[in-house]
Amino acid sequence: MKKLLNILSFILLGIYFATVLTEAQAISWYRIQEMFYFKSFHMYGLLGSAIATGALSLWIIKKFNIKSVNHNPIEVKDKPFQWKANFGGGIIFGLGWGLTGACSAPLFISLGINWKIGILLLIGALAGTYLYGILKDKLPH
Amino acid sequence: MKNEPLAWYIAGPLIGLIVPLLLLLKEKQFGISSSYRFLISGFTRKIGYFNYNREQDTWQFYFAIGLVLTGLFYNWNGYDLNALKTTVGGFGGGDVKHYISTSGFYDLSNWAIFLFGGVLIGFGSRYSNGCTAGHCIMGMSQFSKTSFIATIGFFIGGLIATYFIIPYLF
Repeated sequence: MKKLLNILSFILLGIYFATVLTEAQAISWYRIQEMFYFKSFHMYGLLGSAIATGALSLWIIKKFNIKSVNHNPIEVKDKPFQWKANFGGGIIFGLGWGLTGACSAPLFISLGINWKIGILLLIGALAGTYLYGILKDKLPH
Repeated sequence: MKNEPLAWYIAGPLIGLIVPLLLLLKEKQFGISSSYRFLISGFTRKIGYFNYNREQDTWQFYFAIGLVLTGLFYNWNGYDLNALKTTVGGFGGGDVKHYISTSGFYDLSNWAIFLFGGVLIGFGSRYSNGCTAGHCIMGMSQFSKTSFIATIGFFIGGLIATYFIIPYLF
């Protein structure tokens, strides 16, 4: 029962996140194109205020030492600094984002909205992940 | 179907709230692209990268199920990705670009873009160790240098795709 509730809570958080993204049209190739053409402030406002909210939340959690619902202290870890991988991989990811208008979360949402297009994206993403797994040790990090 | 998106100053903070929600309720740092690694390791663990403690990423798989379910819900309500063509304006507005065909971008004739773009998304997000969720939203909220560098990469890649690839595909 506890395990089921745990699974359900993540699904519900996913539904929350996907609903906001879809209502904001952040999943749309057209909005992403506008962003990269600097035609609309919408996506910049969206990303900027999301980061500001996240940063403010982290500051409040740290400042008041707020614990999780299970009474554990909140630990926020930094990802390892590997600039070649972060930057190089970032550019490759950005190419995919610009081409398809989808990043990872919208990819899963579009799988539900239009499964024929979503499955192409997902197969591609899994193939790309597999390719990375093969090449990992040969790539600069 | 209404074309107006939820205003950025409402939607943006709601997106950002996923960071404290996941931390306080579930003690997880927001991210989503590790789910690709999790999915592959469910099929094969022969390659070192996929032979890892995959339980740490199980939650992202459930989170992704929530994303797909939401998409299905919109689908049942007749949501059409091609109905969002109208620009939302700002910065002078104007239509995105006239090379978008009348059938719209979300058409199976563009299958190669989706498939190949998907490969770049999967490869790039794993190589850079995060995507727009883990780096742009979570990492930037932490003022992490790693995520700042990755986010600059995302935008450089996106600009290259937009100005130097997409116009030659249509």
